[in-house]
Amino acid sequence: MKFRWEQGAGLFGLVLLACGTYYGFAVAPMEQFMGPPQKIMYIHVPTAWTTLLTFTATFVGSVGYLANKQWKWDHLIEASIETGVVLGTLLAVQGALWAKPTWGLYWDWDPRLTSVAVMVLSYSGIAALRGLVDDPSKRARWSAVASILAYVNVVFVYLCVKWLRSLHQVQSTPATVDADMVVALRINAFAVLFLGICMVATRYRIARKRLSQELEC
Amino acid sequence: MDFTGIQTGGWEFVQAAYGISFVVFAAYLSFLFRRAIAENAL
Repeated sequence: MKFRWEQGAGLFGLVLLACGTYYGFAVAPMEQFMGPPQKIMYIHVPTAWTTLLTFTATFVGSVGYLANKQWKWDHLIEASIETGVVLGTLLAVQGALWAKPTWGLYWDWDPRLTSVAVMVLSYSGIAALRGLVDDPSKRARWSAVASILAYVNVVFVYLCVKWLRSLHQVQSTPATVDADMVVALRINAFAVLFLGICMVATRYRIARKRLSQELEC
Repeated sequence: MDFTGIQTGGWEFVQAAYGISFVVFAAYLSFLFRRAIAENAL
């Protein structure tokens, strides 16, 4: 077994996560009204960004596969769907744990939360579909088409807080939060991004190996 | 919450959110690398 670049990315992500979390707890100030639960932002928002980027990679893989039928795009679809579902589920749990002390409830059927639930369930369904189809070409084509359709909801997840009245706040900007909060958020954003890259790249290698064995049979 | 309405508690939710996140990151990475090694994919 060689030391692969994605293992380096994963280790770098873990180191950054430790630094960002320390900065968020020890240096960034306590938020005036929410108090301690605001600290969840430093892990929740980076997880959200990486989840959306991961499903964007699924979209890119889907368009790539339908455009030129190369297997590398199907590996990307398989890898990014699984990673995205893991991160998306974690995102919903983190959100519920932040919602309870600030909104008074773990879950509400508001546009952002509902669309995140639809996102995780739709990509879980595509992953299940891939497991049911034996023919690799059909599997790749069907999951690519389904992933393009599912990506419409990913765009909605990002924009719905601007478009609709939602309990969930709109995206913060560096102008609206303390500079030290921005630093902690950015360090953890890169941390979770590198962890996500490590996960997708490792899962990509597994998908590639499995397909080569499948095609040999 | 104190008399001003400012939240002062809620550390248990912070601990749960970070604890679950770290466990999920570690467990999924470990699962992936074990699977990759078992399938000779690395």
